[in-house]
This record gives sequence, structure tokens and C-alpha cells, in this order.
Amino acid sequence: MKTIDYTSVLCLIIAMTVGSVGKAQEKFFRAIGTPHEPKVEVSWNRYNTYDGVVDIMEKIAEAYPKLARLESIGKSYEDRSIYMLTISDFNTGNPDEKPAMYIDGNIHSNEIQGTEFSLYTAWYLTEMFGDLEFINQLLKDKTFYIVPTINPDARDNYMKEPNTPHSPRSGMLVLDTDGDGEAGEDGFDDLNGDNHITYMIRKSPTGRFIKDPQDQRRLIRVAAEEQGEYEMLGFEGIDKDGDGEVNEDGIGYYDPNRDWGWKWQPDHVQRGAYKYPFSLPESRAVADFVMKHPNIAGAQSYHNYGGMILRGPGAEEDVDTYNKEDVRIYDAIAKKGEEMIPGYRYLTVYKDLYSVFGGELDWFYGGRGIYTYTNELMVSYLYFHKNEGRANQEEELKVDKYLTFGDAFIDWKEYKHPQYGSIEVGGFKKNFSRAHPGFLLEQDAHRNMAFTIYHAYQTPKLSITNVEENNLGNGLKEVTATLYNERLMPTHSGQDLKFKIERPDLVSITNADVVAGMIVEDDDFNKVKEQVHSPETIKVPNIPGMETVKVRWIISGGRNYKINVDSAKGGKASWSK
Amino acid sequence: MKKIITVLVVLAIQSLAFSQNDYPDTEQYTKRLEALNKDSKVNLSSITKTEGGHDIYVLKIGTGNLDNKPAFAVLGGVEGYHLLSVELALQFAERLVKDESSALEKTTFYIFPNLSPEAYSQYHNQLKYERRGNTASLDHDRDGTSNEDPYEDLNKDGVITQMRVESPLGKYTSHPHDSRVMIHVDTSSQSTKRYLLYSEGIDNDKDGKFNEDLEEGVAFNKSLTYNFPAFEPFAGDFAVSQKESRALLDYLFKQWNIYAFITFGPANNLSSPLKYNAKEAKKRLVSSPLEGDVAINKMVSELYNSTISQKPYLQENRGTDGDLFQWVYFHFGRLSFSTPGWWVPEAKKDSTATSETKIKETKVSNFLKWAEQENLDNVFVNWEKIDLPDFKNQRVEVGGVRPFVMDNPPFNKVDSIAIEHTDFILKLAKQQPQLEFHNLKVENLKGGLKRVTVDLLNSANLPTHSDLGERSRWLKKIRIEIDTPKDDILAGNKIELVKKMKSLESISLSWIVKANGKVTIKAGAPHTGFTELNLNL
Repeated sequence: MKTIDYTSVLCLIIAMTVGSVGKAQEKFFRAIGTPHEPKVEVSWNRYNTYDGVVDIMEKIAEAYPKLARLESIGKSYEDRSIYMLTISDFNTGNPDEKPAMYIDGNIHSNEIQGTEFSLYTAWYLTEMFGDLEFINQLLKDKTFYIVPTINPDARDNYMKEPNTPHSPRSGMLVLDTDGDGEAGEDGFDDLNGDNHITYMIRKSPTGRFIKDPQDQRRLIRVAAEEQGEYEMLGFEGIDKDGDGEVNEDGIGYYDPNRDWGWKWQPDHVQRGAYKYPFSLPESRAVADFVMKHPNIAGAQSYHNYGGMILRGPGAEEDVDTYNKEDVRIYDAIAKKGEEMIPGYRYLTVYKDLYSVFGGELDWFYGGRGIYTYTNELMVSYLYFHKNEGRANQEEELKVDKYLTFGDAFIDWKEYKHPQYGSIEVGGFKKNFSRAHPGFLLEQDAHRNMAFTIYHAYQTPKLSITNVEENNLGNGLKEVTATLYNERLMPTHSGQDLKFKIERPDLVSITNADVVAGMIVEDDDFNKVKEQVHSPETIKVPNIPGMETVKVRWIISGGRNYKINVDSAKGGKASWSK
Repeated sequence: MKKIITVLVVLAIQSLAFSQNDYPDTEQYTKRLEALNKDSKVNLSSITKTEGGHDIYVLKIGTGNLDNKPAFAVLGGVEGYHLLSVELALQFAERLVKDESSALEKTTFYIFPNLSPEAYSQYHNQLKYERRGNTASLDHDRDGTSNEDPYEDLNKDGVITQMRVESPLGKYTSHPHDSRVMIHVDTSSQSTKRYLLYSEGIDNDKDGKFNEDLEEGVAFNKSLTYNFPAFEPFAGDFAVSQKESRALLDYLFKQWNIYAFITFGPANNLSSPLKYNAKEAKKRLVSSPLEGDVAINKMVSELYNSTISQKPYLQENRGTDGDLFQWVYFHFGRLSFSTPGWWVPEAKKDSTATSETKIKETKVSNFLKWAEQENLDNVFVNWEKIDLPDFKNQRVEVGGVRPFVMDNPPFNKVDSIAIEHTDFILKLAKQQPQLEFHNLKVENLKGGLKRVTVDLLNSANLPTHSDLGERSRWLKKIRIEIDTPKDDILAGNKIELVKKMKSLESISLSWIVKANGKVTIKAGAPHTGFTELNLNL
């Protein structure tokens, strides 16, 4: 009986194993670059509501407890948890002590795909761990802090409520945008009830537009001396408060990306700023987290759109903050990014985009010394491999004709407006133009992730490459340790050094009686800088990228001494005799 | 009987309040605030508790529809060492409620008696020194360790003064007229004795600097957003990082009716007004008051000088980075006035001094001379030798001006200062914007239509919005609204928003309406007050 039992269980196991292997062999063949048979199945050709985002995050954390940790870093204005996934190899040291890369998305609520790109990164890293030596080593060395959405409230509003491609952009706080003493009294109205805010047009003898006879979707301007047929009335809406204006006071308006604590300016200088730096709960949650995690050495924030890899400064007045040495690092990483993500260009916010005080990337760099990029996701290049610029109507109409087959456009339909009378409503849907169509999402997510992996890879990596002893007689020894930073980034950016944002790197010797300690500035000619107080722990201001620093002690005795390096952004390394 | 006892207790507390002979400690001023709170016109609340457990109080004083009357904010304790400021704010509140409550008919007051309670309390601690920071831990010198190099009371006299070390390397020497006073050595100096000068304490962390990382945290008056001095001592890593600064701003941003601020603090634009700098005013990051606002400052300064008996002398602080005074104007868009309330007056010229010596009076030598003329004792700790291992074989002495005495007058002078400043604030409040309707005319047109015309006037000496305030979303526009349904208005706007009305500016309004019976026209904003016109058509 017993034998049979065992045999049958064994048979069952074999059958199941063979069965599943057989099934995989039959149905799937591995594609290079993508996790094969992932534990967590996710479709990367659609968008996720807040609940969907949390669901994927929970599944990743559950499937990979040794690689992923889920936590909430704070609550949003409407009390949603702002979730973060910490991704690292938890078997190889405390993730909060490894050099780290911080990634977030969706700060502007309508710029949704940054969330999916962030999620893809967490998913890819956990699913590929064990498969690729590069990823194994990466997660052994580094930590990724990933917050897919830092604007969860308005993300859901964007998806679930009627919006344009550009709204809400802010979070769900409602301010008095037109200064009339009432807040949010006259927002959009979804006249045709399709959950999209599109355009209103009206037939008028003085209108300057006609519908293109070859393409009824398109309105074209008539020549100066010609009579037109239609006038444009703007986005769908009704004047609800009777002040003669339509859609002048809806959700917000403020800009969560004007709320950050480097050279912050008020709304009358920088439109969109709220009350003071981190006066919004979402940016405060991020700031609190970053302040407690000095190991963050690189950061990425995802926006849309236009195909840009942006660095600061946001404002011309802040040009001097970005010093030459740091710009050299920024350039090196971002130029590699341009190669990895075709169609994306490396640009500087204040001169290539527009002026921003109080932006996230400026606080990360200016206020914390962290090398940070903002990527403007989605670019015309992805459609037909031509760069036609942002919101090119010609191109977008062509896309919807040949690639999306009418999914993106709502045809003009008549509607009876209480104030304008007979009008027509129609136009592009909110989830077109700024958001990737599904079939372009996964590729761009992968390429942008590859860029952040390169960025993370270039955070400092320290090792003690050489320790030399020199006998001085009288029982004294000179011990010289060479520290090497194997990556592009220094342990302290130039901005960090200027303001002493992070503590110095600490290089210490234990199990030795230290007589004197010093930093060797020039080994060939014995130029040294002595540290009189506590010489057993030498404070090294910085270990530059791809360079070495030498530290020397004169010790007495010490047969089994040990040398440790402890750097906030460079991690730890040790050497023992 | 119960009532009588209550009255007696109140009287006792009040007389206690006015009869004290030193600046109040936290418990004492809290009692005075609670006594005030018994009045129905007063609402005392705590907007937060600081990290160190102190309440940040606000008194909201007013009557009737107090959120829709123009309001003045009066603030004390923006610097913890400035004891006078707390007493001035308190006494203003007390005098307002007791003797001047008629002012509340038109104006609401917000009084924040102490914004730096932790720094302030150092005056009443066993070890007394002029403190700015709260109890947050802070790495002032940014060496990776927080608060590791505080003062030490080396001569055990209970106060922190200075420390001088005789040294050929010193950069200080004695003032020729008063050897107690240390002045900078210059190349013309004949004196051979030179000193190194430090604050009183040892170099705890052996970094060669003395008392550079004090046992205190962020200074409120260096922590706000205008020109925030990131990473400097007392400032913190980013602006408005502390519970008290956040709570204050969160509170202020909800009080739409505040028209102007009077800060008792180190900055001064009252005994002499700020000047206009066209280049700085035109920058995107505005750094000079705008032209119209400088004119207001001039007018208010004249009012101040005609009310306050003390003459201006050496008041150089026109605002410092991260302070409240400049934040109020440049970032909050409100009129901002600030005065220390008292300053060391110019001492009478010494009749025996020879006019040949061209040695300038320093702030300290002037102070000591003035103190002597006033017969104030206990303002200077005489230099006395101590032993300090940091300076082996060198002569080290501890001494100097006692803390607090140069920023705070002897307490017996405070009442008269408070009376004058109360008077000033109430005079200023009378200049607040005042909207009035004039020249109402109703014309009957054919078919029951009516044309209503009326003028709206700001009858005050101050505009409804400062030039800078006009740019701010945190000041409401003047909203003029007629309550006739939109469809019954044939001409004219149902709602009209006006950005600003200057002093004595009027605007003409006109509507054609199809209406009978009661019609109300209302105009105003919380910070200008509202005016209403009720018609019966």
C-alpha cells in the first residue's frame, strides 16, 4: 500500500513537472530580452488604475520576498497610500545601505505611462534575477526605490472621470483658480457623456474654419478673404456660475512639480506653486523618504511627452548650481540614453522646454546632490520614425487612420448646448497623443528602463584595491590603502560637496594603534593632509568616479588590522589582513 | 457669589500681569493668554505643538462677521532672544480687548505672541544666552554630526558671553575709550595687545572652531521661503521644514481677510521706510518693493514716527534671508511692517572727550555709554581670567555684554513702549480699505426694464491690494455681484471681478435688469470687507 502510495505521488509529481515543461515547450519559445514565463503575469499594452497598480505591486512583492519589499511612504490628499517597491537582492546586505536609484512616475496625473514604465522596471528586475548575471550583480550592488505613481488621486480621476489629455495635471485639491471667492465652481462638463472632454464647434457665418472636405474630422482655417463655416468654442463645458466664462475654475489648479524645496518660488512668480515647499502631501511623502535615505545617488522622474531626457536647471537664475563636473556626469549618462531610446533627445529644462522653479529634479539635485533626470515619455518618432513634434494634428489623424483604425477620434456629433445653442462635439480622446497607444507601450518602457538601469549602474561602487605596508622602524608601520570608485559617479556630486549635503566618506582602520592618519594627495611626492582629531577614521570628502583615493595611517603594532570604507552614496567595502 | 469670585480672580490675574517686573516665562504668558480668552471677543487656539512640546498660540480677536473684515496680524517672538516682542504682542492684545475694543467694529486682529517659544525660554533657563533655534536636531556646520559643539559656561556665572585670548595672532584690540570693548585691529592701530575673540565655550569636537554647532535647531526667522539660505546654520535643508513654520503658514493661508502684518522683530521699515530700486523691482524674482508699495511704506512710516517717541538710530536690518518680514511681502503678497519696538538709543556725547580722536563709537561702546547714563548696572560681565586647556600657557578671559540687554530694554520701560505701539497699530488699522456705494440711481425704462447705476468707492488712504498683492492668488479679487438671475440681466455683468482699487478710486457700475422687488448688490473681498446695497425695485 505504502509503496503504491509513494509511487503514485511520485508519478503525479513527474507527470505535473513534465506536463508543465512540456506545455511551455509546446506553446512558448523564449524571446531575447523579456522574462520568459514570469511568475507575475502582466499585460504591458494597457494602463492600470490605482487599484490595478497596487495589485501588480502586491503580486511582485508576494512572488519575490527576497527581492521586493512593498511599503507605503505616505498618504495622498484623498488618503490613498503612496506605495513604493524596494528592489534589491536582500540576501546581500541591507538595501538601505547600498547605492540606490529612485524612480517615480505620474507626478502630473494625466501623464500616466510613467507609472507603467516604473512598474515594468520592478517587474523586469525581479523576473530576470537569476536568469542574467548582469541583473544578479546589479541587485547585489544596488537598490531601486520605485514609486509608480506619486499622484494616485488624480490618476484615478483622469481615468475614471471626463478629462482632456491635459487634465487634471494637478492633484485633487480644489483652489479658487479665477480668484472670485469660490473654489472649483466651473469645471468641465462632459456634454455627450463619453468620459472624454473633447471640443465644441458651432456653425457660424463669421467662423473662420471649415471641415476639410477630404477628412471630415479635421477643421481647417479658410483664407483671409474666404467665408468659413465653423467657429471654435473650446473644450466641452457650460458657464455654471454665470460669470461669462467657461471651464475657468475646475480641479486644482496647481502644479505638483512646482512644490519642491530648491529655490522654491510662490505662484505669482512660478505659476502653479502651492503654499511652500512640500506643502502637498504627495511631494512631502517623497521628500521625507529621500531625506531618510541618503543612499539614493541617482533619480528618475517620468513625465510625458515629447521624447526628452531632461536635466536641470529649471530656471535660468539657477544656472550656476549645475557645475561643470556634474554636468559632465549628466552628459555622459544622458548621451548614452539618447542611443538607447531612439527619438529621445537630451535637453536642459530652462533653455529647451520652459522655466520652472520648484521642480522635482531641481530639488533632487540642488537640495540633495542627486543626479536626476526627467524623461518626457512618448514621442512622434514612435509612430512613423519621423519626428513631427508634439501634437502634430496631421500626423495624429494619419495614425488614427492607418494604425489605430478610428479608436482615437470621436466623430463630430450635434449637441444642444444651454448657452451656445446648437453645437457639435468631437475630437481626439483623452488617452491619445500624450499616452502611448498600447502597441508602443512595452518597447518604450523597456528602453526607458534600460536607461535607468544604466544610470543606476553608474552610481558609485567602492573597493579597496590595494593595501601597502612600509616599515618605519621603532615598531611603527605606514599603512596605505587605495580606494577605487569603479563607476562614473563620484560619492559626492559637486553640488553635494559645495553645501556638504552628505557626510564625508569614512575610511577607518581597526585593530591597530593609530599614531597618525592622513589623506595622500600625491603619492609620488609624499604630499599628505593630516587629520589630527580621530585619525583612526579618516574623513574623505569625496571619491571621484573612475578614480582612486589613498589614505595612510602610521600605526604601532597591528598584525590583524581591518580597513572599512563607509560612504552614504557609495556603499560599503572592507579589507582585512 | 461665583461671578464675583471669577471677576476677582480675573482682576487678580490681570493686575499680576501688569505688575510683573520681568519678561514673562512660558507659564506666565500662557496664563495671560488664557485670561484674555475669557473675553467673548477673543478666541485663543494653539496651531501646533513644537518638537519640544511648546504651543504656538494665536489669538483671533474680533466681533460679528470677523472673517469678512479686514484683519491685521501682529507677531512676536520671530527671534527667540527678542523678549520685548512677545511682551509687545501680549500687551497689544490686552489693551485692545480692555480699552480699545471699538476698533473691532471694523477690523479683526490675529495675534501670534511667540513664534519661537523654545528659543525664548532660554532666557528663563539656568543657563541664559541669546538663542535663535528650536529643539530640532540640526547639523549647523554640516560635518555629519548634529549639535556637537555647544556653548559652555566657563566662568559659571549663568550666562554665555565672550572669551578673549591674548595672542599675537589676534585680530581684535581694546576700544581706546572703553577698554572693555573689543574692536577690529586695523593697520593704524597702535595697541600692542591683540586678542582672539570667541563666544564662551570650548571646541568640543576639536575642529578648530568654537561653538559652531550649537545645541539648538532651526531659527524660525531664517527658515521661510524668501531668499531661503539653504544649508546655512539655523536654516535647515529646505524652507519651512519645521512644525511651527508649517503650522503658521497653513493657518495664514486660510485667513483670507488678513490685509497687513506688523512684526515685532529685528527688521525695520517703520522708523525709516524701504527704498525703491527699479532694477530689482522689475526682475522676475522681485527683490525690491514695488513702486506703489514703497509709497505706502513711506506714509505708514510717517505715521509711525509721529506716534513713537524714540528717534531712529542705527537700525540697519532691512530684512534678512529666510525671514518673516520679507516673506510676508514678497511671497505672501501682504503689506509687511516690522520694527524691533525698541533699540539702543544714541548715547549723549561725552563732554570730556577730545574731539581730535576719530575713533568711531561702536554699537557696544555706544550701548555701554548709554547704559551708564541711564544708571543701568549689570549689563557687562567684566573680563576675568580663566584656565582653559584649549589655550595652554595663554591668558584667556571671559566677559562681555550680558546677553539680551542690547535687544531688550529694562522691563520698566516696556509699558510706555507698548502703549505707543498699540496706538500706532490702531491708527494704522484706521487706514484700511473701505468700500462704499455712492450715487445710486434707478431709472425706469419702458416695459418694466430698469437701469441701475451706482459708484463703488474705496474711501480709505490705503489701496485694496498692494502692487505686489495684486499679483497674488492668495488675495481675492473684489467681487461685485448682483443677485438678479442671469437671464434677467440684459446689460451689465452678474459677477464682476476687480483686481485693485487705489486709495479714493471709484468705479461706475451699471445694469439693465428685468426685475421687481428686492435686489441686492454686494461688493468686496475678505481682506477689504464687504459692502451691500439693498434695493426695492
